[in-house]
Amino acid sequence: MKYRLLTLLAVIALVAAACSSSSDSDEATETTVATAATETTVATAATETTVATAATETTVASAGDASGDATTIDFWVAFSDEARLGFAEEKAAAFNAAHPEYDVNVTSFASYNDVFDAAILAVDSGEPPGLIHFFEAATRQALDAVGSDGAPIFKSVTEAIAGRTEILGEPVVLDSVVSAARDYYTVDGSFYSMPWNTSTTVMFNNMDILNEAGITEPPATWADVTTACEAIAALPDGPSGCITWPNHSWFVEQSLGQQGELLGNNDNGRSDRATEVFLESDGMMAYLEWWKGLNDAGYYTYTGLQRDWDGTSNAYLAEEVAMLVYSSSDTTFFDDNATFTNTASFMPANEAVDYVGNLIGGATIWMLDGMDTTTEDGALAFANFFSNPENAAAWHQLTGYIPITDDAVSLLESEGWYDESPNSKVASDQLAAAANTPASLGALLGNFVGIRDVITLAIEDILVNDLDVATRMAQANEEANKSLTEYELLFGG
Amino acid sequence: MLIVGLIIAALFGPLYVWKNTKYPTIKRYGIGSAVAVLGAAVTPLAMGQCSFAEHSTSVDKLLGYALMFGGAWLALMGARVFWDRSDGKEKKKDAFAGEIRTGGFRLGAWVPWVLLSPTLIILLVFLYFPAVSTFTLSTKLTRLGAPKSIDVCFTNFTELLITDPFKLVAYPLIAIALIYGARFWTKRSEPGTLSRKGADLASFIAVLSVFIALYAMFSPGGGGQVAYRPVYLNTIIISVGIVAFGMSGGLAVAYLAFRKIRGGGVYRTLLIWPYAISPAVAGVLFFMIFDPTAGIFTHVMDTWFGIDVPNYRENAVLAQASIILASGWKILGYNILFYLAGLQTVPLEQIEAALIDGASTWQRFTKIVLPALSPITFFLLVTNLTYAFFEVYATIDFMTKGAPAGKTSVAIYEIIRIGVNNGDLGRGAAQSVLLFIAVIAITMWQFRTSGERVSYGGS
Repeated sequence: MKYRLLTLLAVIALVAAACSSSSDSDEATETTVATAATETTVATAATETTVATAATETTVASAGDASGDATTIDFWVAFSDEARLGFAEEKAAAFNAAHPEYDVNVTSFASYNDVFDAAILAVDSGEPPGLIHFFEAATRQALDAVGSDGAPIFKSVTEAIAGRTEILGEPVVLDSVVSAARDYYTVDGSFYSMPWNTSTTVMFNNMDILNEAGITEPPATWADVTTACEAIAALPDGPSGCITWPNHSWFVEQSLGQQGELLGNNDNGRSDRATEVFLESDGMMAYLEWWKGLNDAGYYTYTGLQRDWDGTSNAYLAEEVAMLVYSSSDTTFFDDNATFTNTASFMPANEAVDYVGNLIGGATIWMLDGMDTTTEDGALAFANFFSNPENAAAWHQLTGYIPITDDAVSLLESEGWYDESPNSKVASDQLAAAANTPASLGALLGNFVGIRDVITLAIEDILVNDLDVATRMAQANEEANKSLTEYELLFGG
Repeated sequence: MLIVGLIIAALFGPLYVWKNTKYPTIKRYGIGSAVAVLGAAVTPLAMGQCSFAEHSTSVDKLLGYALMFGGAWLALMGARVFWDRSDGKEKKKDAFAGEIRTGGFRLGAWVPWVLLSPTLIILLVFLYFPAVSTFTLSTKLTRLGAPKSIDVCFTNFTELLITDPFKLVAYPLIAIALIYGARFWTKRSEPGTLSRKGADLASFIAVLSVFIALYAMFSPGGGGQVAYRPVYLNTIIISVGIVAFGMSGGLAVAYLAFRKIRGGGVYRTLLIWPYAISPAVAGVLFFMIFDPTAGIFTHVMDTWFGIDVPNYRENAVLAQASIILASGWKILGYNILFYLAGLQTVPLEQIEAALIDGASTWQRFTKIVLPALSPITFFLLVTNLTYAFFEVYATIDFMTKGAPAGKTSVAIYEIIRIGVNNGDLGRGAAQSVLLFIAVIAITMWQFRTSGERVSYGGS
């Protein structure tokens, strides 16, 4: 009996461990159902949310709140880690305290795709959330999404704010949003969604190893990286690799932006809908050839997984590589956890062409259409409160995502934050250095998630199976264009 | 074009009646013909004859004919059940069910339906409705949140196949010919002769030829086709690996744990433990063991023995082996559980008799224990194969995400990658239908072949 109990405890511990580690995953994880069954799964998730909402309401009411009938605003967040989800919950609680007539209720989802699918199904079942958190690459997809009645799912926040400078006493911060984010998210002249977590790619350097190899400054160009890697490889007690970054399409897109290459036609899908993607451009070839060269020379460490944020970050922290190209969103994490001198620098660029600009990444808060005025104002007030200077600055300090408004930047400067943690300024500086061109703004593409998958799969094939870059990318180009054409058949007018 | 198919169906009906019923009468020939035509007409009616449209390729048409043939065949099998029953052929098999039926319900025929209704409603809502939706979705180009969907006929299926219609017809025909040839040879040969050994070999080759024919029929990609051949190959390798490792390992461990040892109960309880773990946890565990950066195994090999273990995710063989290891280990506990129960039913008298006759341990194991366990082995074969086909997604997603370059992307992983993660509902549904057909076909084949060899003891 005792043994069985022990076994049971061990099993429970393992399951708990699995739950916590699955939450770190970028992709949907435990979905073991075929397509048709997915709707059921997601619907179940939606039901659970409703149940959760009901439970919260009960708690509020029993807590003796004077206004027991507070308007509920569901806010679906695609973070499940304690720090970032905790931030959202904390700010929702602060908002609820300041506005007792509202109850902003945060629900966590495993990934952006999960949030989106659940939101669409919730719209069709008549119980949509008020706000959802959705990522930059799917901007086109969010703009295009319609419910079963054919009406768009999301409402433009600019339109809903309608020129007001404050809503329910919360100042509107949209005008103060930093230019890189503003330009990225401005479609047809206005914001559709409220920027939240915004980052860019920066390089983290283990200066201890670099200095030992005789490199005093973080490498700025591809050639510098190669030189540094040659020096590091010559070290007698050097690390096993030299540099790594996740095989995520975002890094490819960043490199295209740096080199001024378009990923999609019609100015990266910004002057009109993109109907063609270019995966065989010179910029693409140059970047992948350099990447493959580093890999073949043993300088680049491939973890063997696509979109592997954890593996690459572990390799850097374990000093198995000296350099890590990564999202600035984890600047604070690396500052806190590196046991060596960790210096952030700009993402290395191709020295053979003029630098154009890096782009942003991250996500915004989308507002669902069809709410009554009271609820909508509450949602807008919360979204603006969420990114007010104090909150935006706190968010930046917590993570390393850039301070999303100019006011937040001024606040951080006045507090002397950047003198204290210079690494945190690199992302903002890099975005400020970018020219405002369609290439450096990044693409708006239909089925971008699928196209990104095509790109990363091709790169994995090239790295692991030593394939010819041009041949493999020609094949990827064909696949990506096919999937874009099909998307445009469904959504393009 | 359609009419040709219907005429063939009208001729095929009587042929089937002649071959498969005990008393082929004129009436039955007529009904058989009509049933076949109706069955053949189902898909063209449902799909609006899209397979035979002007722009459709010869592969489209071929698939159209194949579906008509399949429809006719299924309809005739249904008719045959009725005929067999009226001919008294099914009675014996149904003895137990018949006893229950004759008991009767005094309250009326509707009572069983009312009693069954909760189950039926759940089946309808959660099984049949999604299944029908999957079939409908599989003929469309559509995405979640799209303002419209486009009917694409069977393109989602034909794009998985090679484009040469002659090869598409020839390969399955060769495989079928080999199967019938082997069956004919087996019938003609006496057990124990050299000829029977040849026939056994021929049967094996015939079964293998089915898998090879399918391999040749799936497209290797390029020319607008989807590269499904690698997915098919991965699925075969990984599924066979999991079943072979899971079942042989399960039997071996169960055989050892069954013996009288001190604390046997504890061992047996602990051995079943992996089954209580979810496939995702199995993935995480083995990821933590073999991960090149943070893995325990890698670390131990490196620091203690100075062996530099290669990254399992960059090598196709290692990646597939690690998936097999993790998934096979997870199902091991389940197999042990059933084999432990099964070992208790092995007749002790026979083992004692064999001992007296001087049979070695190995002989006792292969000649007595294995045959006595055959019903359990058969049951486990079906459940293990279902597990290997449907429940490895989470394990793969944690361990390799399909790496290296899709070498561990099995059918179910591909379905979720395309249908859920990329939102391409039509293609995802088409591949689910394919997996569904594959599982049905394998289960049917198992019931037919294993059924002959399974010994349930007694007569």
